[in-house]
Amino acid sequence: MRNSSLIPFRSGGGILMALIVAAMAFLACFALAGALGASKLAGAWTDGLSGAATVRIGAEEGAPEQQLDIVLDILKSTEGVIDAVPLTEDEVAALLEPWFGAAPELSDLPAPAIVAVTIDSANEPDTSIVQARLDGAATGAVYDDHGEWRGRAASAAHAVRSVALGALIVCALAIAAVVILSVRSGLSAQSANIATLRLAGAEDRYVAGLYQTRYFWLGLIGGIVGCILALGAMVSFDALSTVSRALPSLDLSGYWWFLLLGVVVFAVLVCVLAARITVLGTLRRGA
Amino acid sequence: MILFENVGFRYGRGPDVLQGLSFDVPDGAFTFITGASGAGKSSLLRLLYLDDLPSAGKISLFGRDISTLTRDEIAWFRRRIGVVFQDFRLLDHLTAAENVALPLRVAGAREVEYRDNVAEMLQWVGLGGQMHIRPPQLSGGEKQRVAIARAVVASPDIILADEPTGSVDPEMAERIMQLFMEMNRLGKTVVFATHDADLVKRSKKPTIDLKSGTSSGGVAA
Repeated sequence: MRNSSLIPFRSGGGILMALIVAAMAFLACFALAGALGASKLAGAWTDGLSGAATVRIGAEEGAPEQQLDIVLDILKSTEGVIDAVPLTEDEVAALLEPWFGAAPELSDLPAPAIVAVTIDSANEPDTSIVQARLDGAATGAVYDDHGEWRGRAASAAHAVRSVALGALIVCALAIAAVVILSVRSGLSAQSANIATLRLAGAEDRYVAGLYQTRYFWLGLIGGIVGCILALGAMVSFDALSTVSRALPSLDLSGYWWFLLLGVVVFAVLVCVLAARITVLGTLRRGA
Repeated sequence: MILFENVGFRYGRGPDVLQGLSFDVPDGAFTFITGASGAGKSSLLRLLYLDDLPSAGKISLFGRDISTLTRDEIAWFRRRIGVVFQDFRLLDHLTAAENVALPLRVAGAREVEYRDNVAEMLQWVGLGGQMHIRPPQLSGGEKQRVAIARAVVASPDIILADEPTGSVDPEMAERIMQLFMEMNRLGKTVVFATHDADLVKRSKKPTIDLKSGTSSGGVAA
């Protein structure tokens, strides 16, 4: 005796349902890829900048060499500063080159003096205290620990993450909404069969279990299809980005597989929970 | 086992289908419910298989007031009540055997546990050869017997039957009647609704007669 499903689900509806889950999983993968890419980029920026600070002494202040010595003394006696090295004229010229070009007469211009400061990332000196000490001794020396720039990079990454999280929630809601509609119409089409199951002694959770099983498989199939499509799209995007530097690399390694797995699990969970809640709610309201 | 106390019933705001009905069906009894079409036989059975609540009075089943049951308790009570519906209520997409197995399956039993039991039940109702046929391919009498096998397969305490001889020829009616008598001999409480006065007269069993929705005689409480 073969055990047929107690509810004769229509396969057409199932295919449509799995397609919608696949589309949502596809979009969710890209939302996650965007969020991770942004985090990584912001991390790379801030990592490159932490542990370093700069003091710039304006050329217009006069006697820069004398000021430079005072500034170096102050910096070296500041707690949290590991080293302070003034940039040579050539190094300053190299920094300015993108703006002024490699002009040999640059040395004639009053270029600012720049001190590269290496700071202890674990014990960063307080920016305002360092600036106050510099202000007392050398006018026109500006201490910059890149805090503003790091903050902006971090908040940009944060904004991208929030948008991605929002997109994930929207995907989940869309899947849940479609499951709810589909289960409701299924329950009303199958109301006679379900009444018979109830009369045969089935609890509501037994009926819900039949739907949960059904939507588990639809969620799993849809999720896997969506993630495979997303993976394909990302691999080709990545191949494109190695050709054109304008596109950021997605770096499809390591945790990517866990991420795709996470999207599938998430899609399945949303499907199963939405189905369960809908069945239990509908039956309790009187079916 | 079954206790009706001044029970009234109506659908929505419609007229009373049952009114002031009081009776008691003791454990192991065989009781007929008779009355013309529309007298409320099916409604009375609906109350017994917990598909509805009385609009007046009180019904006790297995010692519990049925109006206090939760949805889960209703499901568990129904496992102790086998019902042969007038319209059979078989699932058309399942085979005869799968239909018979339904009460066991929804109660959580696995196929290996009930396979033999189901086959035996179908043999008992004379359908051993039609196990894998689906209801649309079965005759009225065969469907009737699948419904009977399903009603008794889980060994319930109470068996309710709504006109189980209504759609079959006299010979089959006699066979079906014998099946119910046999179950009663095995200790099941049987409540048998029929409009066949001859059948009732011949069997000499207690009768609850619903005349235009009121109780008269039978095993009055």
